[in-house]
Amino acid sequence: MNKNTLKVVGKTVRKVDGVELVTGKAKFSGDLRFPGMVYGFAFRAGVPAGKLKSLDLEAARKSTGVVDVLLPEDIPGPNIMGILPPFDQQILAEEEIRYAGESLALVLAETHALAKEASEKIKAEIEPLPPLLSVEEALAPEARKIHPEGNITFSKKLIKGNADKALAGADVTVSNIYTTSFQDHAYLEPETVCAVPSGDGRVTLYASCQSPFHIRGHVSANLNVPASRVKVIQAYTGGSFGGKDDVAAEIGILASVAAVKLGRPVMIRHEREESIIGSNLRHAARIKYTTGAMKNGRIVAKKINIILDGGAYASESPFVVMKALIHSAGPYNIDNIFVESTAVYTNKTYTGAFRGFGVPQVTFASESQMDELAETLNMDPLKLREINGLKAGDKTATSQVYDQSVGFLETVAQIREARESIAEVRNDNRYLYGTGTASVIQGISNGAEGVDVVGASVQMSQDGSVLVGCGLTELGQGSRTVFAQIAAEVLGLDLSRVTVRQVDTDAVHDSGPTVASRSTAVGGMAVKKAAEKVRESLVKMASLMLETGEEGVDLQDGFALLKENPEARIPVDQVAAAAYWSGFPLMNMAFSKAPPADYDHETHQGNIYIAYNFGTHLMRIRIDKLTGKTEVLKHTASHDLGRVVNPLGAEGQVEGASLIGFGLGHMEKILYSDQGIIQNPNFADYAVPSIKDRIPTETLFVEDPTPNGPYGAKGVGEPPVAGACAAFANAVADAAGHRFTSLPISREDILRYLREKE
Amino acid sequence: MKIEFQCNGKKVAVEADPGERALDLLRDRLGLTGVKEGCGKGECGACTILLNGKPVNSCILTAAKLNGTEIETIEGVSRGDKLHPLQESFLEEGAVQCGFCTPGMILSAKSLLSNQPKPSVREIEEALSGNICRCTGYGKIVTAVQKAAEKMQKQEDHE
Repeated sequence: MNKNTLKVVGKTVRKVDGVELVTGKAKFSGDLRFPGMVYGFAFRAGVPAGKLKSLDLEAARKSTGVVDVLLPEDIPGPNIMGILPPFDQQILAEEEIRYAGESLALVLAETHALAKEASEKIKAEIEPLPPLLSVEEALAPEARKIHPEGNITFSKKLIKGNADKALAGADVTVSNIYTTSFQDHAYLEPETVCAVPSGDGRVTLYASCQSPFHIRGHVSANLNVPASRVKVIQAYTGGSFGGKDDVAAEIGILASVAAVKLGRPVMIRHEREESIIGSNLRHAARIKYTTGAMKNGRIVAKKINIILDGGAYASESPFVVMKALIHSAGPYNIDNIFVESTAVYTNKTYTGAFRGFGVPQVTFASESQMDELAETLNMDPLKLREINGLKAGDKTATSQVYDQSVGFLETVAQIREARESIAEVRNDNRYLYGTGTASVIQGISNGAEGVDVVGASVQMSQDGSVLVGCGLTELGQGSRTVFAQIAAEVLGLDLSRVTVRQVDTDAVHDSGPTVASRSTAVGGMAVKKAAEKVRESLVKMASLMLETGEEGVDLQDGFALLKENPEARIPVDQVAAAAYWSGFPLMNMAFSKAPPADYDHETHQGNIYIAYNFGTHLMRIRIDKLTGKTEVLKHTASHDLGRVVNPLGAEGQVEGASLIGFGLGHMEKILYSDQGIIQNPNFADYAVPSIKDRIPTETLFVEDPTPNGPYGAKGVGEPPVAGACAAFANAVADAAGHRFTSLPISREDILRYLREKE
Repeated sequence: MKIEFQCNGKKVAVEADPGERALDLLRDRLGLTGVKEGCGKGECGACTILLNGKPVNSCILTAAKLNGTEIETIEGVSRGDKLHPLQESFLEEGAVQCGFCTPGMILSAKSLLSNQPKPSVREIEEALSGNICRCTGYGKIVTAVQKAAEKMQKQEDHE
């Protein structure tokens, strides 16, 4: 598809769901009210490990406004959930307590405040167990088993070539250990659901959520009813970033069970503290990394060991293990790679999906290594990346070969140019200046991690307006706008005639989770296919009306017209009405299915993702030697995303993800006490970047289209997180003349180092 | 206690419970659900309202404090279907992603522009420093406020 012939795709457009957001009219879950609604508030363990002996509920039951207290025995189903095998997460703890945020009971009362007040009157008798608060403790041979099968959640190896042998023959090797911290999603809207029972035995759940079909499955299993009795409607969702999956299922189950038991609507709305202690965080990681290279800069081998702190439950740890494994060698063409990646249970808040999905952690390690290697070789860091960078036809770490859409080296070239534009400034008595670059690779689609199917529907009315449905959720990333653009492009319409609805599990095919930067590529492809079927009907009808062959008809600007004589045209609403009366279908449901992955899960070799996003970032910083204050003077992010569908939206993704990456690199850290309690479960003590901490991101695009995405589009939601955090670390190393190997590299860390050096 | 105040240009009289938060009164009793709760502790700015023109966090304000005041919420910012220049600019510049922080962000910006029609970047950052946004990275928000300021200036010159 020639880019220049596109009319809607590739153009900057406003968010199609923007007006309701700027006027406050959009209804988020917490804005819903139903007659007779009661509110749930969980009583949590407060200790990281123990055996629950008894709960004293008397005072809570007598507390003002209390309607009921929900206990494990009230859950008709297995009281278990989990995104992936081993499905190990209890919804209300029956006996074993595995982390301090674990829910033991749910108080239901006439208001949220009364439910909370009553929950504080519950007393639990818990026999404490010594908590396992680090992966080292949990991996010790004699360690207590947090789950019956032991403390290893999931462990995998990637084996390509012979890394040990190649390392032995390398001219130089560099080796280091890197660590990263737990990060909270900190979406502005805390998790909220509202369950409404109806007379026909069904339950409708309105949820702030990322994956409505996950929730439907979990709710029906735990209600012990068929999935067809559960309807999940995604309300406007105030951010998710991977976070509103497990926890949305957890509170969705609790609200649904309570709603059915009481015959009343039930809302559960997390407070900020609950959102931090009681829902998944980003995995903290410990990565041992060795790189071997020849004197000319050619990398011959990488050997990597990744340990991820998974917290109390598996959540998405198995996939994060895989993703970290596959991406840890970076966007480079290397013949010999050995990676071992392991997630470990500990008695801390469980960790799981968070924008980037393990890739930011390993990219920080990989890109630190690249700079360390460049220094050892006395080589320009970008040159080193150019020498080793993946090109079309090369083999990735999993030995997959892409014949096209490998725009990595172009991102390096753009960053080289950006770097050249930086004026030389010498360090002075007050300031240290530094520049860092980092490259990133991030798989698009679920790939061989799981099945990758998305369903979408496109329906044209007789007035020529179009309703699009897709099973993937709008979380702020702009997918509804992208889907609208694609439908408008196919049908030759103005964007204003297209409406994209929120996900309702009754009305659209199970499309799996909204993850893996796949909305544009896989979701967009489904919308495109569905729209093309509707287009066929319109073209067929128009060819009859214009008395020409179908190949002579085009749809443009709201008209069906003769290609040879565009002035011979009929408004699309007339064509649609005629198609309806002629019995030509104006609605279609289509699927986008990623090609089958051909993959060996023992060695992690084979074809896994439909495409990769490639990127390179540059960060220029200035450190104030007196205070440690670190300012980002310049940040340039270049990404190959195949085809930009909405430049404004794509820039927004890069800018927002980059600041999350900067937070991971510099500011954000969940702090545990030595008793296993989170010390900073609020925005006063947990430093989410404010507007004063923003970085001046400039976004550059490389468009190297993929045959596997609509109009060549790949996606860009996650990769900038990794690029920004790794580039920051390299910039600090350049400015301070010292490599920090633990994230975040805080102002205090930098100042401490500078003081010690003096 | 009975409290009376001007809300989005209309006079309101309601019974407030002792200790009730202004946030809950506005949301539950007046249906102004554009006022969002993000943290409940005055740390994120999602619940920002304008109280006598000044941005305040309604989650840490008792409802009784509304008595005798003039307040504005996001619901009062547009005129029917006609969006305020800030709302227009937020859409044009891509300053909205999930939209949960947007009402508070727009109100804080509106207060700024009423006091300082030509704010510097520093002044914008200062005025919005109590409003957290996790989606956008803030750059487009700053641009949107600048663009809105220009638009409002032009409108004024025109009038």
